[in-house]
Amino acid sequence: MTATLVAILSLAVLGIPIALAVDRRARGPLLIGTAFLYGSGTMYFVLLTLSIAHIRWTLISVTIASLIVFCVAALIARRQSDDVASQQTKLHLLDLVTLFTIVCYTLYATLAPLWEWDFWAIWGLKARTFLEIDGIDWRFLESRWNTFTHPDYPLLVPLNYDFVALLNGGWSDRWMGLTCVAWAVALALVARSLAARETTPFFAALLAMLVAALGFSRYVGLAEGALIAFGGAGVLFVRAALLDDDDVSWRHAALMLGFAANCKNEGLALLVAVTIAVVATSWSRAPVRLRKLAPAYLLAAPWLILRAAHTLPTDIVEGSAISRLLVRLPHAHQILMFLAEELTKPWFWIAILIGILLAPARRRERFTYLVTAIQCVFYVAVYFITPNGLRWHVLSSWPRLTAQIAVPITFAVFLMLANSLLAEEDAPHAEAGFDEY
Amino acid sequence: MTLRQTFSLLCLAAIVVLGVASRLLELPFIDRAQSVRAMARYPDRAWPDFPLFLQGVREHTKPGDTIAVIVPAMNWDGGYSYAYYRASYFLTGREVLPLVTADNARVQKNFLAAKYIAVFGVGLRVPADIVWREGRGALLRLRQR
Repeated sequence: MTATLVAILSLAVLGIPIALAVDRRARGPLLIGTAFLYGSGTMYFVLLTLSIAHIRWTLISVTIASLIVFCVAALIARRQSDDVASQQTKLHLLDLVTLFTIVCYTLYATLAPLWEWDFWAIWGLKARTFLEIDGIDWRFLESRWNTFTHPDYPLLVPLNYDFVALLNGGWSDRWMGLTCVAWAVALALVARSLAARETTPFFAALLAMLVAALGFSRYVGLAEGALIAFGGAGVLFVRAALLDDDDVSWRHAALMLGFAANCKNEGLALLVAVTIAVVATSWSRAPVRLRKLAPAYLLAAPWLILRAAHTLPTDIVEGSAISRLLVRLPHAHQILMFLAEELTKPWFWIAILIGILLAPARRRERFTYLVTAIQCVFYVAVYFITPNGLRWHVLSSWPRLTAQIAVPITFAVFLMLANSLLAEEDAPHAEAGFDEY
Repeated sequence: MTLRQTFSLLCLAAIVVLGVASRLLELPFIDRAQSVRAMARYPDRAWPDFPLFLQGVREHTKPGDTIAVIVPAMNWDGGYSYAYYRASYFLTGREVLPLVTADNARVQKNFLAAKYIAVFGVGLRVPADIVWREGRGALLRLRQR
């Protein structure tokens, strides 16, 4: 357990200068939350770079590479103007309840050595395999017998596990669930800070508790927790950037979305969904705003190039995807009905839909709605072309996919409803940005 | 408070309750030891002694060795996929070769190509040297290579 805790702490420390280089004003929850996420994302690139350079992963090589990143980021952060007011977040008693929910999730995530099938057949297996040779085992990923591990999936999560294992001095999956807790907590801290800009401390604390609960992936050990955290934070920062036209939020957004694209293929789809939504909601300013998203694509590029160079197969496009689509299209209504029947927490989603209809400032949140809708369309489209049994594919993935997109839309609907309950002066941003789009 | 605000309040409460409500919140108040035992057994509930067997195989083989696994269920969805994936996880560094594909076709060439055959829960009548044996499993090395 100590090694995992030290790893989490090390990632947070590594991320502090990066977070400050991105946002000199960041303090409190925003600084801690973004610092861990940046540390986690940076560690992926550190291990990836070492592996590409054929430098063995050892504690020394990883520490030196991380220190270089740390120092460069610290230099950049120092050059940033100090002439900006720092962002303070006022705590609320409700934050203690959030803390309690985090304790509950920690108890769950550390019940036993990671038990999920997809952990020991995909995410943990890759991490453990790479640890054997202290680098990415391309031969393993390219082997025809290992296609079950989804070799095309990006490696941010396995390489984070490898960092934990390096600190541990060997592989142990007993306490790795703590990394999932850390990703969820980081997202809750980011949400807490962003919500505090737009509503009262009470509602911001309540929303942070809700975001934390939605970020607690029940699939401990899979990449879901990391994707929810990076993707959720990325979309929330784009939302903030669109509302305030704030360059700092754009930088956060681009980096978070870039890291999300390195968690899972759904993260890559999310980046595309965000791009489409940004263009659709701000057509006249789209070129400028897309340039601000460019770092996300730069972060996504290395893995896309590597997987193409190593011809790592993607199972959903195997064979004739078009013919599968044509076979399933006539049954679209049945497939959609099945998805509706298998929706996890249906009453929660009904409440979100009612919230969208009730809320007075719907136009303000059209970016978040659009991203969620586009991502849903991507998910459903995959079911139409999957080479796997449709029923099996839906049952084994639909609950995870809907959990991935819950945070941003819940954040937006919650704030709209909460601010509609407040007097105008208590909700300074309630209608701000309405015409800014 | 207007009617719309009343509905907004109710909707907000519903979102919070439905979003947060979870059995997770019961965890601090339950018998943790029982849950720990249940979750630790969960991945290998069909063959609880399989991980221990694989650990033994790991100790008796070297990185780079090729190993094929034979288990009572030689049907992909009937248990072989579990055995193959689990063996891949416990035997990292070695190359685990499947003897059955996802569509239940036998892969005889892997049986012949493997340096070792890890046999669990079944007997195997082939000319082979027993490298290691414990419980329901044995690690074999085929003769006549």
